[in-house]
Amino acid sequence: MQAIRVENLSKTFRVKRKEKGMRGSIQAILHPRTEEIRAVKGVSFAVEEGEMLAFIGPNGAGKSTTIKMLTGILYPDGGHVEVMGIDPTKKRRQLAYQIGTVFGQKEQLWTHLTPYDNFRFFGAIYDLSEQETEARIADLSERFALKDFVDTPVRNLSLGQRIRCEIVASLIHKPKVLFLDEPTIGLDPVVKENVRELIKQMNREEHTTVFLTSHDVGDIEKLCRRIIIVNEGHIVLDDSVEHLTHHYLDQRPADIPMHEKAAEKEAAPAISLEEIIVDIYKGKEEG
Amino acid sequence: MSTAVKNQLRVCFLSLKYNLMREMVNKVTFLTNVLFMVLNNASILVQWFILFALREDVGGYTLREILLLWGLTAASFGLAHILFARAFSLSELIIKGKLDSFLVQPKNVLVSVITSATDVSAIGDLLYGIALVCFCRPGVGGFFLFFLFTVTGAAVFTAFALLLGSLSFWFVRMDLLQNQMVMSAVSFATYPDGIFNGISRFLLYFIIPVGMAVWHPVHLIGRFDFGMFLTLLGYVCLLLSAAAVVFYRGLRRYAPGSLMEARL
Repeated sequence: MQAIRVENLSKTFRVKRKEKGMRGSIQAILHPRTEEIRAVKGVSFAVEEGEMLAFIGPNGAGKSTTIKMLTGILYPDGGHVEVMGIDPTKKRRQLAYQIGTVFGQKEQLWTHLTPYDNFRFFGAIYDLSEQETEARIADLSERFALKDFVDTPVRNLSLGQRIRCEIVASLIHKPKVLFLDEPTIGLDPVVKENVRELIKQMNREEHTTVFLTSHDVGDIEKLCRRIIIVNEGHIVLDDSVEHLTHHYLDQRPADIPMHEKAAEKEAAPAISLEEIIVDIYKGKEEG
Repeated sequence: MSTAVKNQLRVCFLSLKYNLMREMVNKVTFLTNVLFMVLNNASILVQWFILFALREDVGGYTLREILLLWGLTAASFGLAHILFARAFSLSELIIKGKLDSFLVQPKNVLVSVITSATDVSAIGDLLYGIALVCFCRPGVGGFFLFFLFTVTGAAVFTAFALLLGSLSFWFVRMDLLQNQMVMSAVSFATYPDGIFNGISRFLLYFIIPVGMAVWHPVHLIGRFDFGMFLTLLGYVCLLLSAAAVVFYRGLRRYAPGSLMEARL
């Protein structure tokens, strides 16, 4: 079954424009000018249940806008979205029971409360009974190794501990789909590895679909089998990570002669995923 | 009561509890906030005692009615800021794109947003309002009406703040207008309605809803009229509905930002 189905999704923002300086400010009051920015332009894709997908792109590519339309935060201007068979624009509350979200740059936890109190609050938000919440907290605390700091106020936790708590809070209601927007931002390599392992474990044990956006290539390599790259509101690549890393040089534009491709492949047989991604980003910008 | 309503109330109660817990972490600040709000309110009343020493009534109000007016204004404003403090900073939430976390929860967005913060100093307002009405001794029926109108007054102030705050979905920097209009409503509410005539009176009943928040209830506590009471309830329901409609219409235009923010 498909966990996410997106057809021809689009979103346009209207942004105010003004000339520089005081004169521009006065002009903007008398003759306001707006410009339409098409953040997402007819994007279509599907994600299977239990799949872990990397949805990446350079800054301003439209990935956060897409994720926000999938979670019901933003209303699309056109197209159709279904997450676990639910249209976010029509049944946002019903959808919320099926999804979990972690925004690495936006904290959802109450910083003055302990993780334990936060989890109880999230349990109430998702209508879990006291017993269900307690059982889930005990289970997740064990699996995510939170026991040493589950009773310490969130503001006193390290970033790594906090992110683990953010992920646990998003899993309290056993969501079917987990949206992770840069979950490892700012973490040291050891903690990153730890967080990735926990996400993998959760995907394996609870069959949770993971929709990941990240600028960290390590997240993509370690977690995802499939990658979608967006740029300027379009999907520019939808491929398996394995296929992309092994066959990227073969797929480069036809104007590059075959012998050059072969030479490149021989000279750099182990071209990294990061280099490929940078190449795709740049290729799109130059194009 | 339906399960959905019960669950929503459970979340609201927890939200209030956790907000108070946050404020009570620093006991000294918590108590001084409450105490100084009471003292601040009390100090302004001094001018009224001086005025009533010189004349018997002002705008048709006796000193007892002025105290009732102040009591009801303080209690309504206090209750609104204890339970629904975020309604009064809604503009800021919209402008800074801070509604995301509420939109991914399976709860009523509007209720979750407005109950997500508590203004501790407002406890001082509420206590001060109750103390003043005790001073007025309005009788059992009067006390009952006072508490009822504290709730309707809080609903009117909250709905007014919500309406103005929701305009931020369409216009920028509406936070300034929201703050100024709400504070002007509270300021006008502490003067007797008899001193306002013509257009100003019309504005204070229909544009800035001071009339229905405070003046009308004070008259009803003095002399109860069932028809006028129903009018008041109808007005409150209408204003709340209008605020909810404008909020949800605006929510479709919500454009979250990419600021790095923490929930504090």
